Formats: sequence, C-alpha cells, structure tokens
Amino acid sequence: MLESMLKQHFGYDTFRPGQKEIISSLLEGKDCIALLPTGMGKSLCYQLPGYLLPHPVLVISPLLSLMQDQVDQLKMRGEKRVIALNSFLSMREKQDVLSFLSHYRFIFTSPEMLMQPQVRHAIEQMTFSLIVADEAHCISQWGFDFRPDYLRIGEIQWKKPRPPVLALTATATGSVVQDIVQYLKMDAPYRFIHDVNRSNIKLAKVMFAQKEEKITWLLEHVSATAGPGIVYCSSRKKCEEISLKMLERGIVAASYHGGKDAEDRQFIQQQFLQGELEWIVATNAFGMGVHKENVRQVIHESMPANISNYMQEVGRAGRDGQQALAILLYADGDEHFAHYIATEDLPKQHHVEQFVYYIETGQQPEQMLQNAEISETGFRVLSYWLQQEPPSAVKQRLTKMMQEKDTEVGRMLALILQEHCMRERLVQYFGQNLSLQEGACCTNCGLRIKDFLLERQQGKTVNVEDWRKRLRKLLFGAP
Amino acid sequence: MLIDQILLQIFYKLNNERTINAAYHLLRGKRSGQTIQDVGLFKLYPYFGILRKLAKPSFDDGVSRLVDRDLLKVEESGYFTVTSAGHDELKKLEIPFYDGWHYRGNEHVFFARLSLIIQTLSYQTAGHKYFLPVQRDEQTQAWCRGFLMDTQFHRQTLQEPLYEEMLSTLENAHLSEQQRQLVLNRLSGAHVAGVAWQQMSVQWQLPELDCQLLFISALHSWLEEIRQQQPFYLSKMTGDIRVENVLTGSAYQTAQLYMQGYTLEQISHMRQLKMSTIEDHIVELAMNEPHFDIRFFVKEADELAVQEATQTYMTKKLKVLREVLPHLSYFQIRLALARGEE
Repeated sequence: MLESMLKQHFGYDTFRPGQKEIISSLLEGKDCIALLPTGMGKSLCYQLPGYLLPHPVLVISPLLSLMQDQVDQLKMRGEKRVIALNSFLSMREKQDVLSFLSHYRFIFTSPEMLMQPQVRHAIEQMTFSLIVADEAHCISQWGFDFRPDYLRIGEIQWKKPRPPVLALTATATGSVVQDIVQYLKMDAPYRFIHDVNRSNIKLAKVMFAQKEEKITWLLEHVSATAGPGIVYCSSRKKCEEISLKMLERGIVAASYHGGKDAEDRQFIQQQFLQGELEWIVATNAFGMGVHKENVRQVIHESMPANISNYMQEVGRAGRDGQQALAILLYADGDEHFAHYIATEDLPKQHHVEQFVYYIETGQQPEQMLQNAEISETGFRVLSYWLQQEPPSAVKQRLTKMMQEKDTEVGRMLALILQEHCMRERLVQYFGQNLSLQEGACCTNCGLRIKDFLLERQQGKTVNVEDWRKRLRKLLFGAP
Repeated sequence: MLIDQILLQIFYKLNNERTINAAYHLLRGKRSGQTIQDVGLFKLYPYFGILRKLAKPSFDDGVSRLVDRDLLKVEESGYFTVTSAGHDELKKLEIPFYDGWHYRGNEHVFFARLSLIIQTLSYQTAGHKYFLPVQRDEQTQAWCRGFLMDTQFHRQTLQEPLYEEMLSTLENAHLSEQQRQLVLNRLSGAHVAGVAWQQMSVQWQLPELDCQLLFISALHSWLEEIRQQQPFYLSKMTGDIRVENVLTGSAYQTAQLYMQGYTLEQISHMRQLKMSTIEDHIVELAMNEPHFDIRFFVKEADELAVQEATQTYMTKKLKVLREVLPHLSYFQIRLALARGEE
C-alpha cells in the first residue's frame, strides 16, 4: 500500500531503512523522533505523508539555505504548492502568503519567523496534518545559548487535535533527544534510531607539541594527497591564512566563512560542487545543506568545541559510501582556544548586571548592543532568559551553561587523548554500541593515514576562460 | 595599491584643510552637509561613495601606508600635510575612471540585477527551471522577475540580443582587458561558477580591495558607455541607476520651497529646521546647480573678493577668509566658494 504510493509520487520501488516505519507511525497519528544520517532520505519521511494526508505540512528549519534547498528540490519535482515563509519576503508578500496559507501543501519556516505575532496567529488558526522539526538537535545545541526561539516552539497553541510532530536529526545524544521531546512537548514518540557509525569514514588524529607544527603538517599533507576535502578552522582569520598558504603552493583552495559576501560564498560552493576545488578551508559556517557526495577528507585544523559538532563535520565525508578519511589535528593546549570559541558569545555575569542597570535607570538595554558591550547572539539569549526568570536565576543558568560548554570541550579532549578505539568511544557517546569491530578503523587501532589516501594529481589549476568565451558559455552553454 | 593612490589624491584635493576622517566619510558616501559640501568645494565628485562598506581598519591601514612611505604627515589633531615626496608621487598616479557622485553605490544594484538575469538565462539555456539564485535580496528578485516577464524571456529569445549588447558596450567602454574579465568573473550560471575575490587577488597578485576598486571603476565606465549607446535591454536595467537629482532629500525640499519664492527665514520656520541647516541646503544647491543665482545673497564684487583671497592665501579655510573679509558672513563666503572655479 505505502509502496504503491511511494512509486506513484516519487517513482521509487522500495523504502530506505527506517522510512516506512517512521511514515507508518506518523499516519497513525503518533509523534516520532527519527535519527537518520544525512543522505538517507530524511525529507521523504514528511514529503510522502504530505501527499497522503489532507492538510498542509509545516516544516520548521534552522537555516535559510537549508529551507531554500528543500523548497527547490520539491519545486524541481513539479510541486507548486510549496512556500518558504522567511525574512526574504516583503511585508506585502508575507501578508499574501499568510492569508492563503492553507492552500499550500508544504510550508517551510524558521523558529524566529514562527514567533512573530502575525505569523504565530495565522499558524494557530490553521489545521495541519503534520509538524516537522528539521535538524532537531538544534533545539538543544542552539536553543539554550544561540537561538532561544527554538525553545519557544513548544509554546505554540496548535489547533486541537494537535497533529503528530516529527523531529528529524542526523546526530543526537540521549540528552539531546530528551531536550527535543521536552521542548517540542512530544507525546511518547516512536523512536527510530539509525546506527550512527559511518564505517567508511576512517578516523585519524595527529598530535603535536606546538601549534605551528599543525600548519606545516597540513600543508605537506594537502600537497601530497588527493581531495576533494574540507579543512575546518576555528576562526575566519585562520581560514584566510591557511587557504592563502595552500594557494601559494599551487593547491586549488578557497576559504569560506560568514565574513565573505553572499556572492563569494555561493561562487565557492558552486565551484566545490562542480569539482573545481581541491579544498575548502572553512569555519563551521560551511556544510549544512551542501550535498557533495565525494568528499574524501575532512581535516580539523582546530579542535571542535564538542563531540556533536565533530561528528557532524566528519559526517560530510564519504556520503557516496566510498572510503573517506577524517583527520583531527591536536596541539597541546588547543582545548583553551576551543573553550574560548565555545563561550565567546555567551553572556557573562556582568552583562546581567548591566542589563538590569539599564532597565532600572529607565534606559533601553539595546544600548548594550550599540555600545558593542555584548554580541548580538549574547544579547538575544540574555533578553530571552531575563524575560523568563529573575536575574539571580539567569546568573546561575549562565554559570551552568558555561560549565556545560566546559564539560563538552572536556569530553572532546578526552576523546582525543584516550587510547581506546576512537570509533567505539564516539558511538558510545551517542548511546550506541559498535556492532562490528573492524581492523584499523582509527589511529588508536593502528590506522596509517598513508594507506587510505590517493596521491594528489599535480597540475590542477583554476581555469578561468577569457571573458568573451565566458559570456558565450553563460548565455549559450558549452560549445 | 590602488586604494593608497586614491587616498593620496583625495588628501591632496582636500588641501590640508580637513582632518583625515573627511576622506573616510567621502569614500563611504556619508550624506551629511559637511561631506556633501566638501565634494563640491574640493571637487571630489569622482570618489563620493565608491566604497560604501569600507571598514575603518582598512582605511586606517591605507593612511598608515602613506605615512610609512613619507607621502603624508598626520598630526595628532587629525589634520595632515601631503609631503613633497607625496607631491612627486601625485604625478605618477594611475587612477581609473570613477563617477561616484552620480552612481553612489547604485552600480551594485545594476550588477545584482544583471547577475540574476544572466544566471536565469544561463539555466534556461541549460534546460533547468530551478536553481539557487545568486541574489537573495527580494527587491532585486522582484525587479528581475518583472524584467523577464516584460521581455517575454520564456521564448528564449533574450540570450542573443543581450549577448550582442554586452559585447558591444563592454568592448567600446573605456576599460582594460583585465576589467572586462573582472566583470565576467563576477557573473555565474549553469556549469559556470563565479570567481571569488580571494581567487582573483591571488591570480593577479593584487589586494582584494584593489580588485573591488577596479570592479567599481569598470561598472562606472560601463554604465557611461551604456548611457551613450542606449542599447534596449541594458538601458532597461540601468534606467534608474544614475542619480540625476544629486541634492540630498532634505536639501531638495528646501530648494523646492526656495524656488517657490519663500525666504530662508520662512523655510526655516515651515520646515522646523535651524537657519544654519537651511543655509547648508542653499550652499549645496549653489554647488550642484550651475544656473542657481547667488546674486541675491552675494554681490559680484564680494564674490570676486573671496576668489581673490583664496588665491592670495592659498586656502579655502572659512576662518581665514572671514578674517580677511570681515564684512562678509560665513554663508556668503561659502556661496562664493561654491561658485569658485577649480
């Protein structure tokens, strides 16, 4: 029955693992948490129900680019009743969309947009067949200290009877799953948990005494071995510096981070997808929503701030199922910098006092932003919590957040320093056990980096055509 | 570096009579009375607003480089002097064409439209209906949608004439071959990715900021050529790009009232603005409107006296001129200066 629907709407003969179970439980009206790795057909879990159920499906998505990506994919399949309700719409367009909301089959939006009174009002009047939280780990990962509106999704008064909620994510630990259930107010959800282990990605670490040695090693490594690959760095400046050094050595690399203009980011992404780049040197701004199958290497030049980030970033390698390698470079003391990055945007105790002082003296606390006394993220988080609790409780909460970040960095450090199988420890962190022990699966199990990499093909260069030829190619296609 | 050359030229034009920051406001196109008047007074029209997003550290770096090369001396007060080495350097400058006064950053609006239209046509040629738009700004998208509908792009007949128009205008425009390449590098489409600034910077061994400055100059020159040739499609894209009414919004309102015959006092009262602000507007008007008659405020003899004094004392500093010509008000001196020849 479901299979024939799958064939009719999507042209596939069979479901991928988990899809049928998830969809069946949703059709029964049950909430569901689905942990599926990227590229395993997560979106089909709500797209097929969208055709089987009578009312629209609401998808809450964390990233504009991700949202656009999903909308584009649906449109490319010929679905016209799909809309992204986001900040790109003008006031007028937003109003138009809101008044015709029930005519769409798929509605994508962000938590922030959902919390706008006008939008929230429209949403609460509507009957949905299904509510989807995409990349639901963001609730836990970002909600507390980055995008508090994520925590507010649960406040929405859905029209009764409330439709089933589907939480989708690629990685989540037990405590993250708990946060998801709590903040989305899920009701005894059905859980589908896919094996988090990605056995085709080999895990390596290389240890150094001095930070500078990492760059030297990295440059030698990328000169000798084949990409395409991603180097993750912790700062924009590092990205620029390392990419330039790679370019100087004739390696086709580009840097990618939030400080680049939007065009540059899209140009680089397209180049990477088209296979024109050997390496992308990026901050963690790069990755989500970028579907490149044949990434062969992911290198962490800087230590990630927590294991979830590490897992996600590593997971961008080898989506084609072919062998890939993740290398983590660690120099003594890196955890201090990781800690700094992790807590940089977190409001500090004195920010609470300042905020309260501004209120008490009848001033706008927004002045803290104008005076550059706090980051934008920090301010958002601070004002959210100060609306929820008294200042003393917020201070305690901030201390606790700080400690949690600390613990997370500590766990990441422990994973690096410990001598057991890295893969086993990593999988255990996500509450699972390794089903099959393979031979040299990680550095601690005797993996040697050289055995797994192809030699770099020399002489690859960026080939920019003469402008006339380029203009012809743009308008009339390849000759 | 090109940015250094532009800075030196601006400092030279400012004639040591402003602080360093005047150049910063000028490049960012600050719409304050002071900056607008500096543009007219020191004939800085080309550079107004050519780097609207210029970061203060990048500006400061440029100034430091000039100081390090002994081309410029900066005092603690922020005032400066172009050194004799600086004056030698001025003879060697090779600054490309800019018309910041008339484009004011709108050149980027034009290019955003063009890049989305080219991208759409490129994907159309390749047979794709959907793609990730290179411009996310909703206004730009709406504009392009309107353009494409009006020109019946679905018939797939736009590619040919647009190609001819671009080729002809780019070839005829006063551009270097590198600038033409630069323009095309910033366009993208199906199977053709754009080239990032960092990549061009490495390829051409030029700082990123210089690449961007060459690009802006290229757009200004190209827009001039489009204005001359008036090709059908490109003209449609550029119709509202050049700023013809160069007065600031507020000055424009004052000018309207003045033309209707109201006195400055009346205008000040009607607009609830200080008299000095209204005077700023009149000076701005005098500077930008060659036919504006200042005789009502300044006698011919006084105007000549001011111009003579600027020659004699080699300065446009109001304070100095006022001391020499105590019978004139600051307002009168400014009006006379506004009319002054280069």
